[in-house]
Amino acid sequence: MIITFCILSVFIIIGAVSTIRLHNIVYAVFSLMLLFSAIAGIFLLLMAEFVAVAQILIYLGAVGVLILFAVMLTHSVTGSSGKNIYSNGWGWGLLLSLSILFATLLPAIYFSDFPSDPAVEIIEPSVKKLGMEMMHSCVPAMWLIAILLTAALIGGIVIAAPPQKR
Amino acid sequence: MNGQGILKGMLVTAKNFFGSYVSRERLTTVSYPEGGNTIKEQSRNIPFLVFDGEDPVAGMRCTACQKCEKACPPQCIFIEKDKDERGKALQRPKVFDIDASVCMGCQICVEVCPFESIWMDSNFELSTFNRFEGLQFNREKLLKSNTYFHKIHPQQAQASDDRLAEKERKRLEREAARRAEKSASEPQV
Amino acid sequence: MQDTLNLFVMNIGQWLSANLGTLNNPDQIIVEIARWLRTEFGNWGVVGFILANLMATVPLIAVFSGCFALTTWLERKGLGRIQNRYGPNRVGPYGLFQPMADGIKMLLKEDIVPERADKIGHFLAPVIIMIPAMTGLVFLPIGRNIIAASIDSALLFFFAIGSIVSLSVFMAGWASHNKFSLVGGMRAIAQLVSYEMPLILSAVVVVMFVGSMNTSVIVEAQQIKSWVTSDAPALQCLGQVLGWHVFQPWGLMGFLLLFVSALAEANRSPFDLPEADSEIIAGHLTEYSGFKYALFFLAEYVNTFAIIGICTTLFLGGWNGPNIRPPWSDDPQALLIPGFVWFFLKIFVLMGIMIWIRGTLPRLRIDQLMGFAWKFLLPLAIINLLVAGCFYHMEWYFGWPFSILILCKSYAIVVRLNKSKLVNSNRTYTYA
Repeated sequence: MIITFCILSVFIIIGAVSTIRLHNIVYAVFSLMLLFSAIAGIFLLLMAEFVAVAQILIYLGAVGVLILFAVMLTHSVTGSSGKNIYSNGWGWGLLLSLSILFATLLPAIYFSDFPSDPAVEIIEPSVKKLGMEMMHSCVPAMWLIAILLTAALIGGIVIAAPPQKR
Repeated sequence: MNGQGILKGMLVTAKNFFGSYVSRERLTTVSYPEGGNTIKEQSRNIPFLVFDGEDPVAGMRCTACQKCEKACPPQCIFIEKDKDERGKALQRPKVFDIDASVCMGCQICVEVCPFESIWMDSNFELSTFNRFEGLQFNREKLLKSNTYFHKIHPQQAQASDDRLAEKERKRLEREAARRAEKSASEPQV
Repeated sequence: MQDTLNLFVMNIGQWLSANLGTLNNPDQIIVEIARWLRTEFGNWGVVGFILANLMATVPLIAVFSGCFALTTWLERKGLGRIQNRYGPNRVGPYGLFQPMADGIKMLLKEDIVPERADKIGHFLAPVIIMIPAMTGLVFLPIGRNIIAASIDSALLFFFAIGSIVSLSVFMAGWASHNKFSLVGGMRAIAQLVSYEMPLILSAVVVVMFVGSMNTSVIVEAQQIKSWVTSDAPALQCLGQVLGWHVFQPWGLMGFLLLFVSALAEANRSPFDLPEADSEIIAGHLTEYSGFKYALFFLAEYVNTFAIIGICTTLFLGGWNGPNIRPPWSDDPQALLIPGFVWFFLKIFVLMGIMIWIRGTLPRLRIDQLMGFAWKFLLPLAIINLLVAGCFYHMEWYFGWPFSILILCKSYAIVVRLNKSKLVNSNRTYTYA
C-alpha cells in the first residue's frame, strides 16, 4: 500500500514537473497524461473506483485528446530550447512558495481530526443508487449541464458549418 | 436500400467462400510444385536446340548458319562453328551460348531458323545460385531431344516433324529425278 | 524450501483425490484449481502474492495471444477463400503454423527508427498501446467465476481504458515524423472519439436493464433462473439461451449498434481509416518494423477481442450456452460443458463475422465515417435507450410490439433522413 503510494506519488511529481519544464509541448502533454493516470491510480488505492474511472475517462480520454488536438494545430512543437525562464532569485522564490504552502497546509492538517477507521465499510457504486441521485437531487444541475452542453454543441456546429452560398 | 445492399454483398462473399470449397472452377490457383504441370502448348520461355535420335551431337539439327545470332534483338546468342582436324568448317556449332539473363523470349530466332532446330522451351525453373555462369546456357544444356519437344509442345513438334519429312521427301524426289535424268542422258550400252 | 515443496506435492495429491475423483462440477475445475493454488500460495509470503497475481494475468495474456495467432491465420484463410484463393497453406497442416513463421520473421527483422523520428515517443507508443489492450481483457467473464477482476464498475472501467488507445496511436503517428503517420494518428483520434459515443450509449441499455455494471452480474442476469435450476434438461438448455439480451428488441438493436461501433473502435474494416493501407500506407504503422510492428498488431487484435468479448458479455450471454447440468451432479449450478467453451466459440463467431465484413465492404470515406457515427448510430442509440426504458416498465405483451414498431420506424426515418438533402448535402471540395 505504502509502496504503491510512493511509486504513484513519484510518478505524479515527475509528471507535474516535466509538464511545466519540458520545451516540447507534445512531451508536456504526454507527461500530463502520466500525471492523470497516476492520480487515477491514487484514487484506486483509496478504494474510490468511480472517481478513478471518471479520472481516466474524462481527463485521459477527453481532456487529453482535446489538448492533443490543440497541440496538433500549433505551429512549432519544440519551441526554442535556448530561452529558459531564469532569474537569480529562484531559490528565494522556492523558499517563499514552500513556506506559504506549509503555512496553509500544516495548520489544516494539525487541526482536523482524522477518523482512524474508514468512514464507510463497503463502497458500493450501485448504478441504481447513482441513477436515483442523478434523477432526484441533482436534476437542476443535470439540466443546467445539459443546456450548457447543447449550447456548446450548437455553437460548435455553427462554427464548423460550411459557409452558406448566397 | 436500407442496408440490404450490405447484406447482398455479404451474401456474394459468402457464396465465394463456400463455393471455393465445393467447386474447383472457383479456385483457380495452382499450388506450385505439387499442383501438376499446367503449362500450355504455346507457352514459351527460352530457346532450346532440338536433336534427333539418341546422340545429342550427332543428331543435332543446327547447322551453325548463324541466322538466329544475327536476328536476335538483344544479341544473346553466341555461335562458333565447329571445325574438323584439317580446319575445315563443319556444319554444326562448336559453341552455342544463350545468355538467359539477356534473352527476352521474343521467339524471333525460332522464326528465322530454316532447319527447325531452335525452338522455345517452356521450362521456367531457371533460378541458379550464380547469375553469371548459371544463366549462361551452353550447347550441352540447350540440346534437348525431339521426344522432349514432343512432350512439351506436341502440335508444334508434329508440325515441325511434318515439315522436315516433307523437305526430306522433296530432297529424295529431287535426287531421284536427278538420278533419272542422269540415267536418261547417259548413252545406252 | 524442501519441506514446502514436499508439502506442496502432497497437497496436490490430496486435492486431486478430493475434487477430481467425483467430478461434481466439470465447469469449475479451473476455478477450483486456481482457488486451491491461491490458498497454497498464501503461505509463501511475497512470492506467493506475486504468484497469485501472475496466475490471474499470465493465462489471460497467453490465451489471448494464442487467439491472436489463430485469428491471423483464420483471417488470411477466410479472406483468401472469399477472394477464391487458398490462403496460407505451406507451414504445417493447412498452414496452421503460419503465425509462428510470421512471428519469427517479425522478431528477426531489423528494428528501424527513422532518423528524424522522436525516439522516445517512437519507442513508447507500442509499449503504451499494450496497456489498454491487455487491461480490457481483465473485465471479461470467460466462464462462471473465471474473471481476472470482478469489480463493480467493470463496464465503465472498460470503456474508460479503451479511450487511451487513441492516445498511443496518436503518439505513434506523431513520433514517426511522417506525414502519413500523422494523418493516420489524427484520423484515429477523430474516429475513436466519435465512435465512443454510440459505443457507450448502446452498452448503457444493458446496464439499465440489469442494474449493475459488473460484467459477471450482467452475464448471470441473462439466464432464466427458474428454468436453469429445473430438472428437465431441455429447459436448462433453453433457459441459458433464450435469456440473452439479443433476443429482445432493444437488445438486438443495441447489439447491432454496439457491434458496428466496435468495428470502428477496433479499427476494423470497413472503418479502418487510421491504417488505410491503400491511402496512407498504414497510417501510424508506416514507420514501424520488426517487433514493434508486431506489438501494434497484437494490441490491435487483443483490443478487438476485448471489445468483442464485451459484445458477447452484454448481449450474447457471455459464457451461457446450450448447456445442461451433469446428471450425476448434485450442485444446481453445475454445468456439463465448461462455460469458457461457449465464450470462445461466440468470440470466434463474431471474429469470423468481422473477417467476413472485411472481405466484403469497401472502406468508408472520412466524412461518411463521421456522418455514420453522428447522424446514424448516435440517434438510433438514443432512441434505443428510450425504447429500452419504456420496455422495462411495460408488460411483455405491450412492450414487444411497441418497441419493435418504434425501432423499425425510427430506423426507417433515420435512414431516410440520412439520404435526404436536409442532412446529407452534397460534398463540396474546397481545396481539390
